[in-house]
Amino acid sequence: MRDLKHLIFFENLLQEANNDLVKQARQEGRYALGYTCYFMPEVLLDLPGCFSVRLRAPRCGSPEMATYYMSNRTCHYGRSLMERALEGGFNFLDAQLATETCTVTCRFQEHLKQMDVIQNPNFFCEFTDVPFKKTENSFVHYRRQLQAHVLDPLHEKFGIDTSDEALLAAIAQHNEVCRLISEIGAYRKLDNPPITGYEFHVIQLVSLTCPKDLILPYLRETAEELKTRQPELRSPFRIRVVLAGAENDDPYFTQLLESCGALVVADRYCYGSLPGREEIHVAEGQSPLDAIARHYLSTSMCPRFMPQEDMRGRKKYLADLVREYHADGLIVASNKFCEYWSYERTMDALILPRDFGIPTCSIEKEYVNSASGQLRTRFQAFIESVEIKKIQEGAKK
Amino acid sequence: MKNAFKLLSKLIALCAGIYGLLFLVFYLDLDGKLLFRKVEPMLVKHYDKMERRDPLSMAYDVNG
Amino acid sequence: MKKIDLKKLKQLDVKKLAKDFWQGKPHGERRLGELYEDKTGLYKHREWRGVKDTFYYFNNIWLYNYIMMVGDIMKFGGPVIFAKGLWRYRWMGQTYLPVLHWFDRGLEGLRGEALRASAWHYRAMVCVTINQFMNMFKADANLHGGKHNEAWHHSIAHKETVWGGIFYPWADKFTHIPLEMIPYFVTCHVNNHTVLNYIDAVQSIGLPGDPCPMCQAEAGLFVQDDMPDYAPFVITSNEACDGSVASTAIQDWFMNIPLFAMPQPMQFDDPLVQEHCANEIKECWRFIEEQTGVPFDWEQLKKNLEKQNELQRFEWEKWDVAANTNHYPINGVAQALYRIYQSQYGEHYIWHDTDKRVRKILEKCVEQRIDTFPMTRHRMIAWSCAPLYYSHWCTWAYNCWGLNTIINMDSLMFDMEIRTDNLENTVMDMAKYHEWAPMRRMAVGGMHHIFELWENMEKFHCDMVMMYDQLQCKGMQGVVGLFEDEFRARNIHAIWMPHALPDKRTVSRAEIRRIINDYMTTVMQEEPLDPSLLDFDDSESW
Repeated sequence: MRDLKHLIFFENLLQEANNDLVKQARQEGRYALGYTCYFMPEVLLDLPGCFSVRLRAPRCGSPEMATYYMSNRTCHYGRSLMERALEGGFNFLDAQLATETCTVTCRFQEHLKQMDVIQNPNFFCEFTDVPFKKTENSFVHYRRQLQAHVLDPLHEKFGIDTSDEALLAAIAQHNEVCRLISEIGAYRKLDNPPITGYEFHVIQLVSLTCPKDLILPYLRETAEELKTRQPELRSPFRIRVVLAGAENDDPYFTQLLESCGALVVADRYCYGSLPGREEIHVAEGQSPLDAIARHYLSTSMCPRFMPQEDMRGRKKYLADLVREYHADGLIVASNKFCEYWSYERTMDALILPRDFGIPTCSIEKEYVNSASGQLRTRFQAFIESVEIKKIQEGAKK
Repeated sequence: MKNAFKLLSKLIALCAGIYGLLFLVFYLDLDGKLLFRKVEPMLVKHYDKMERRDPLSMAYDVNG
Repeated sequence: MKKIDLKKLKQLDVKKLAKDFWQGKPHGERRLGELYEDKTGLYKHREWRGVKDTFYYFNNIWLYNYIMMVGDIMKFGGPVIFAKGLWRYRWMGQTYLPVLHWFDRGLEGLRGEALRASAWHYRAMVCVTINQFMNMFKADANLHGGKHNEAWHHSIAHKETVWGGIFYPWADKFTHIPLEMIPYFVTCHVNNHTVLNYIDAVQSIGLPGDPCPMCQAEAGLFVQDDMPDYAPFVITSNEACDGSVASTAIQDWFMNIPLFAMPQPMQFDDPLVQEHCANEIKECWRFIEEQTGVPFDWEQLKKNLEKQNELQRFEWEKWDVAANTNHYPINGVAQALYRIYQSQYGEHYIWHDTDKRVRKILEKCVEQRIDTFPMTRHRMIAWSCAPLYYSHWCTWAYNCWGLNTIINMDSLMFDMEIRTDNLENTVMDMAKYHEWAPMRRMAVGGMHHIFELWENMEKFHCDMVMMYDQLQCKGMQGVVGLFEDEFRARNIHAIWMPHALPDKRTVSRAEIRRIINDYMTTVMQEEPLDPSLLDFDDSESW
């Protein structure tokens, strides 16, 4: 396939958290607001005057300093963020809008609050409490939390306009990003998509890590480009997979998987688009903040949700994705030391093959995986087993 | 009277004997030794051999 | 026949022998380590504590508790159902028969009022344990041919981290039984072998080895089909941590009964969260009403909360004595286990009986100024989550090194009374109380909580810290560096004790002792009080 016009530009943007577009926005006098989790609604951090940066630690090597603070028995992602912060890589941040949603990222953010890590005299870190359910009690609580711990501090400390009009403007911009990402992502449903999983991963990540208004022109162009992009005559991939799991901001993981022959057609992981790029709808008479609170809780598929219907519904969601994206199998990957996803993927690997006939591979990974021979071997074995299954099913028919 | 006294003496002697025996069990940790060396291994063998249901075959209704 | 050495016989200090027989050997001469059989932890013979204390131990602890255990079994359901349960469930048969050895391990070396008061705490825990498993067995469909009997319909199952007080409104009609407290939590203290089966079971279905082993074991009970089917519905919680939430998904699959999730907010200092938490409790009550058809009873709630408040008030009195005097008659392990059991499980008559007895002893110690732990060299505060398979490490530490564990972090949770003047106040207080649960009160909601160590060190006049280092607790692993920094900056003697909560295989008891020994010799440059306790092999012991 012909290279996407802006792919190299996007890849370069992902080499640093403080990338060129972030620098440009800061030079324009806008506030850079860091966050780590889907439960921190990025749309609130993209109000006029500020912009959201979902934190990554690209090219992170061995997080030695962070390991002193957080031991080597915590998730590599959280420690890599801590390492990058200690190195000064997040000094561009004006605030961290934090959530106590998973233990290790919470500890990382608590370190930002406790220690003088971010060299910015105006920097603050504010925590929001996030509910574990999708009930009315939870929606109301979440809305109050977002008002008190996101909007009010932004207004008080940075003078950000948090009025309903400003929120509606942010929602409009957010929705355009979502439409474009969803449009691009929908190509993956085709038998021979004009976009690879790696390319999509890169595009999704830049939409999370760059100021929305500055990345939007490139996203629009990319969406336009894809309308006429011709895929390979014959797909180079042997199977199609849904990639699910925990935190995954490493597009080279997707590239590694695809180099083994599995096209990633859907991204159901933290930092992914499913869920994550659904448009926010504000009903007649509804406050924008209420719509935002309900949207982020309702759409989330985080294993943090405890009610029975939510726990079980996540399996159905995965099965539906596999069907919708015409996938041959499912790969569930999580970082080592991730409590939530250790259990979640154990169950996925048991339930999905048994009840839905979906071949499932459960993978433990590090934060950065490009050179992993072990992973390559696992992927190749899985791909072969799925291929054999397809051949056998074909023969039966 | 003499018989009652004899009976009482026998009873006291019996109780004293039981008490002494129990003290011996206590002091020499015979209860622990019995449980550790005989009872627990026997029970563990039983539990290891027990037929158990396979919980992985239990249904999982995702539709609520 | 061995020749009698008359010379040695003549050299014997008969007076000393007689004194040692009557009063028991002084601390430095006891050589408690020589009582152990190699590897098993069994005793060649139990301790001779002097005539008075040995016969107290024999009559009032050993004999008394064996008799009371039989009595409890008779009272709470009878020998037949007990035998059925013992035969069916590994955690029952493998763990709870050697319970007197649990007493022995925790009470080693104790004399006088400390022996008496500490032992009453153990007795209470045994009584509630028996009550719980007998309630499970009476209701258990597995023991009744698959049938759901009256007891089954009148039981409420819940995660062990759901505070029992939530169920007070139904206390007169329903029995609440934590899912894992008896099959898992208490087993780790009494016989540390049992739990390993459950950890291995859940890993055999694909779970990685690094999540918290407590949650692993809780899930593993179901994987091994070793959980009674004793209730028609279950209440879950997000306490203590991510692992508890995550493992519930596996438990839900295998239980497959109606489930109500009642999470507590993480940022519990925030006044905004309290109403949300209170609403969760009310929704839980609505769920129970729907499931049982029995309405919420305010009078029952009020009555039981007021009884619970009595227990809390006495706990504060005990803390006061512990903090400010050397007359506190409860050793570290009895204090820690009793407190967590009593406050997490909730109201039970035995707690009040025990507190009455302990109060008498406490008052005697204070009035007569009895130094209950006279060999104390250092007053220790234990912080973070303790090793369940070595909860009696503090008994060993006192006997070997004179380290007296005055208080521990998890005792300091649930640290409040609950108002009973009206329902709204009550529910708000219950919300806050539940947020202050074990491990949650200190480990979440901001680092300032976990650093309450410093003020508690001061409050309890402690000069050393035993810093528990649960290797698979992500929350505590996430703050090790800052603790190191603070210990250095404040010049505090802190010993890091690595462990894997219930799993003795990761860090053995011997390794824990070695770490403490190393610190005491190299850093503190002290000599042990009882060198026979420095190094011994208890690798196979309960």
